[in-house]
Amino acid sequence: MTLPTGMTRQLILLLTAATFIFWLLAVAVGASVMRSEFDEVFDSALKETSARLLPLLVEDLFKRDPGDAPRRIGFAGTDGDEYLTYQLRDSGGRVLLHSHSAEPVPFDVPLAPGFADTATHRVYTDAAVSGTLFLQVADPLDHRREAVAESVASLFLPLALLIPASVLAIWLLVRRTLAPLEELRSEIGVRDGTNLSPLNAGRLPPELGSIALSVDRLLERLRVALDAEREFAANSAHELRTPIAGALAQTQRLIHELPDGAGKRRARDVEKALSGLSHLAEKLLQMARADSGIGPADKDADLVPIVSLIVKDFQRAANKDRIHLTLPNSPLRRRVDVDAFGIALRNLIENAVKHGAGGKLMEVCAREDGTISVLNAGPVVPATELANLTRRFKRGPTAALGSGLGLAIASTLIERMGGRLELASPAAGRTDGFEARIILPPDAKR
Amino acid sequence: MRILLTEDDGAIGGAVRDHLAADGHAVDWAKSVSRARDYVAVASYDLVLLDLNLPDGSGITLLREIRKRPDALPVIILTAMDQITDRIEGLNAGADDYLVKPFDLGELLARIHAVARRSKARPTPAVTIGKVEINSSERIVKRGASRVELTAREWAVLDCLADRKGSIVSRGQIEDALYEFGAEIESNAVEVYVSRLRKKLGAGLIKTTRGVGYRLG
Repeated sequence: MTLPTGMTRQLILLLTAATFIFWLLAVAVGASVMRSEFDEVFDSALKETSARLLPLLVEDLFKRDPGDAPRRIGFAGTDGDEYLTYQLRDSGGRVLLHSHSAEPVPFDVPLAPGFADTATHRVYTDAAVSGTLFLQVADPLDHRREAVAESVASLFLPLALLIPASVLAIWLLVRRTLAPLEELRSEIGVRDGTNLSPLNAGRLPPELGSIALSVDRLLERLRVALDAEREFAANSAHELRTPIAGALAQTQRLIHELPDGAGKRRARDVEKALSGLSHLAEKLLQMARADSGIGPADKDADLVPIVSLIVKDFQRAANKDRIHLTLPNSPLRRRVDVDAFGIALRNLIENAVKHGAGGKLMEVCAREDGTISVLNAGPVVPATELANLTRRFKRGPTAALGSGLGLAIASTLIERMGGRLELASPAAGRTDGFEARIILPPDAKR
Repeated sequence: MRILLTEDDGAIGGAVRDHLAADGHAVDWAKSVSRARDYVAVASYDLVLLDLNLPDGSGITLLREIRKRPDALPVIILTAMDQITDRIEGLNAGADDYLVKPFDLGELLARIHAVARRSKARPTPAVTIGKVEINSSERIVKRGASRVELTAREWAVLDCLADRKGSIVSRGQIEDALYEFGAEIESNAVEVYVSRLRKKLGAGLIKTTRGVGYRLG
């Protein structure tokens, strides 16, 4: 059994503390009432004892010689401690008779009928023979205190059982009551960019059902907003690419049709500017798509043919032998969006082609463990620069043209796929070059 | 080559048509799926350039229809849809190549030649007949060691004959490769270009089979 945490723990502590405090209050009130009732009972007993004892003692006194010393009266058959002690005194305060446990020294209370307290006793004084004789019966206060204390102590005993029992009962009750909340929490927990399906609110209690409905409405709005964002980024890419392609194609025709000279040079400048614009628009839209949450997918895809297709594109554009491709023998299945993976890998290869040492061999290697590395020759990138390369619009120490977005796009997309992008320079097993590694663990985004 | 260009964007379509025409190809330009369907039904094309997003439907539909035909008409997709899934869908539907906009017109020509060569089972771009070496994709023809310059129309006729080297090619087939729909066909144009080619490359290169057509080699 795991120790309760969070709300459960708080509820157990608070409810147990409240039970304990209420019990203490009840004991305090009970003790006060008990003490008052005990006083009444003991006082009544003291009074009754006095009333019964006084005639007997007076009779006994009259049978005695008046010059005798105070007489100690014992009880027949008893020699132990007695709760009640008494003294029979004359009006001058002299002790004439006293019980066997009482001291011959007079009680320190006035000779007036009624109750009075000394430091240790409660004393009842009764008068007889026209106020010439006084019987004082004393009850030790300790006796009364002990009675109250023992009664109160007995009330604390159930607490020893009550506290652990209440902790267990509250824990079980809270766990049972909060089970739907836990279910709701786990339902919400599995929602992400790829799963925005409505929650199963049917089995939830009414109090949580309304929360689930609100979350469902929020999920629906989020899904619509995310879809719109993704669609906008994808459509914008298409809509922007077409007019740029038209302008570029017309410019290239112009270059062919113009005679050599200033006009042709200017047309080439326009072509270069349009290519730059096309590249920048492409990168910004890729960044927008990465930010809109593409990356994870709801089903597996084999990445080997994707890597092969992309590398062949680059091999066709560059010298075929310049890019060396190594693929695993078995499929590399991962739950990722293949378009997002394609954008990420394309950016890494573009980066290697652009910044790699001209004409030197470049390598793309996909391994069965889910690592896809892109490696190029070239000068070593300092470690301080490496850490900054995945920041947007941050370019390394290079003269090559670029937007400074390629590695940032790749990094964002790979992170969304549940993987990570590692950059190393010098490349593994070399003394120079740069290596970018996509690492997609088997359980990425599962 | 007779090429069908399917493209609804005026700027791209115009530039591509002019560039291909300058390279000696006859280009029919369709701006919708239905028009392209009509062209494919009546003319014999060597290659189709196909946009995917057309006003009246998807180019993929037309591609699937073309793939149901008995001839293996080469198709290159020209599209602004650059995603891997779009590309896989296009290639799975039977496209021979896939070029994403914006593209370089030189790259487009290279792809056209590569696909055409592949479809005619010519593994290398060069054809050699006697002392004449013809490299269609590079647009280089040599007679012995010396390079010979040809006009676009002359290239179109030579390409048409080189594609069917050793076989007789009818005058009508050569005219199809030379003229798009609507072009004014000069009655003796084929004879004129064949005669010019014989003058530049040697009289024995192109043989005439009277009443049937011409043969290279």
